[in-house]
Amino acid sequence: MSDFWVLARKEIMSLIRDKKLLFGLIIVPLIIYPTMGKVMQLGMETAQGETHVVIVSFDDGPYGRVLVNALTAAPNVTVTLINSSSLQGALNRAYQEKQNVLVVIPRNFSDSIEGNRIATVEVYGIFHSIGTGVRESVSESRINAVINVLSEEIAKLKLKNLNVGQPEAFLHPVRAESRSFINHHIVNASPSLVSGVLTSQAISLPLIVFLMVTITAQMAAGAVAAEKENKTLETLLTLPVKRTTIVASKISGTAVMGLIAALAYMVGLKSYLGSFTTETGVTLRELGLGITPTGMLLFALVVFLTIVFALSLAMILAVFAEDVQSANTVVSSVILPLAFPAFILMFTDINELPALARYGLLADPFTHPILAYRYALSGSYGLMALSLVYLSALSLVTLYFAARIFSSEKVLTAKISWGRKKRKSG
Amino acid sequence: MTVVKVEELEKEYGKVRALRGISFEIKEGEIFGLIGPNGAGKSTTLKILATLLKPTGGRAEVFGHDVVREAEEVRALISYLPEEAGAYKNLTGIEYLRFMARLYAKDEEKAAGMVELGKKISDLGNRLNDKVATYSKGMTRKLLLARALMVMPRLAILDEPASGLDIVNAYTIRKTIKRFAREEGTTFLVSSHNMLEVEFLCDRVALINSGKIIEIGTPEELKEGYHAENLEEVFMRAVEPAGGEES
Ligand SMILES: Nc1ncnc2c1ncn2[C@@H]1O[C@H](COP(=O)(O)OP(=O)(O)OP(=O)(O)O)[C@@H](O)[C@H]1O
Ligand SMILES: [Mg+2]
Repeated sequence: MSDFWVLARKEIMSLIRDKKLLFGLIIVPLIIYPTMGKVMQLGMETAQGETHVVIVSFDDGPYGRVLVNALTAAPNVTVTLINSSSLQGALNRAYQEKQNVLVVIPRNFSDSIEGNRIATVEVYGIFHSIGTGVRESVSESRINAVINVLSEEIAKLKLKNLNVGQPEAFLHPVRAESRSFINHHIVNASPSLVSGVLTSQAISLPLIVFLMVTITAQMAAGAVAAEKENKTLETLLTLPVKRTTIVASKISGTAVMGLIAALAYMVGLKSYLGSFTTETGVTLRELGLGITPTGMLLFALVVFLTIVFALSLAMILAVFAEDVQSANTVVSSVILPLAFPAFILMFTDINELPALARYGLLADPFTHPILAYRYALSGSYGLMALSLVYLSALSLVTLYFAARIFSSEKVLTAKISWGRKKRKSG
Repeated sequence: MTVVKVEELEKEYGKVRALRGISFEIKEGEIFGLIGPNGAGKSTTLKILATLLKPTGGRAEVFGHDVVREAEEVRALISYLPEEAGAYKNLTGIEYLRFMARLYAKDEEKAAGMVELGKKISDLGNRLNDKVATYSKGMTRKLLLARALMVMPRLAILDEPASGLDIVNAYTIRKTIKRFAREEGTTFLVSSHNMLEVEFLCDRVALINSGKIIEIGTPEELKEGYHAENLEEVFMRAVEPAGGEES
């Protein structure tokens, strides 16, 4: 085995065996995100699932019956009819039976319809706790939907009685059909749907890149600082191994862990976001927004170079820290501000920004993976190649400085004082 | 053959002058001791020879290789035990030895041989299968010493090798070092505070104080020169007139 592999393997092994790190990197995203997603989903499902409706009818005409039947027939609605002589009694019953919605059909319901007056149905949402009100409001909207359908049906009946040929066209003289024109294709999906899918992509990708960059940077800095803290650095630097090999093995070791972590975050985040996007049921491919193998390769290269840049920068910074904790502080205070502008791209199109802001963002290497993803979607490979050139140059510079600083004695003696100074008494 | 050649070596840490021009030579197979009070510049000298620090003046050679310009060649010939050192906490003792052996050995067979030797020197038995994080200070020191010796360096640079070890372990280690010098012809440069250790171990000794070498000679020569019964007295007499720190 070459020196590089021996060192890189040790690096990975140390990282894998670091329980804290492993927990934060892999266990948390794989458990927390899906759990969060499940909770959200559960909330939505219970809200969207069966709506239990209690109905009390004081009406003795035919239309009260019709309404009850319409509600019973509506999907996801179970109806319980109760007998009560007063509104208060009905509300109490519904409350005791832990029901959420009480529909009251008043006495003059059928009379009003037959007399061509507006008939009223009272819908009571019953709150059992002062927690979130999602269930109640959704149930109410569903009742309203049923009542809308019913009132339409009644209107059609009345129009038929008036001998109107096409009651549907009479009721809805105008209808909107929405489609989307995206990437020069017409897609049979409403703009709100498409923008929903795009938004979820726009939010999740910067988040993953941000997490990956900051986490791997912390890991690399930690790997260097741990050598100082555990007093293994001096031994390491006197081994018969090229200093560049030491730097390269540390970077690759953490990069491997970083990719595993990124994967974990991606899987976690996907199942989290999945709980939202399955609703829309539209994938990017269906929108004509798939990524070709070329695009995929270029995107992967951009991500790789961004990580190399972040890792080598973190290693340089870690040289100035005495222990893991101060390394984390130094790295956070440099990498976080650099990674933050990536979030601006969550909400904005870089081309809509003024030139100065645009070049400012482009100078920040951490915005490139996000841009690259968009370019990959739209097939702008030329722009991706430009990104690659820029990132390569930047990575080479930081790698060079990392190798330089590891070949000098600065790696042992450089330190920024963090308040207190330690020195052995002479 | 001259293994180490140090000429007018100087080192400044900012304003602190740690070494003010020291010179000495070490012959092959010798156990050379560097002794002196705290802050005298022992560790600084050893770090320069181990290619960790760069001198601000003078020069140092190991087997004819300049420690600054030919650092890589030097590193291939030496093994260095820092004054304060640890091993990778997440590895077990045996994994640590294997890791180190692979970096020194050309092939697996040689590496296995080194690990066997390391096991013997460390004398940690079954505890080698435990994580280094669970070791006591002395156990870690033994592991690190084993690592430094098992790779069969041409020159071993040991900064206070027996620090933190109990009497029995310190004794065993000294025996091992002596045996290595006799049987393998390994050259040793050790620093120490323990005069008993130095007297027992070293063929020649350099007395260093405030970054300057005051005396060089065999323990016998030094004792004679200072009319002292043991090295401790030599040490005290040599240091006294200097009056501690000069400016
Ligand atoms: N990294 C450093 N930065 C500044 N000064 C240093 C540094 N390392 C050592 N010194 C100074 O250099 C001088 C020599 O230190 P050195 O560690 O070589 O002494 P030593 O002889 O090994 O002492 P000890 O017996 O305590 O280990 C001391 O005055 C010390 O304060
Ligand atoms: Mg010292």
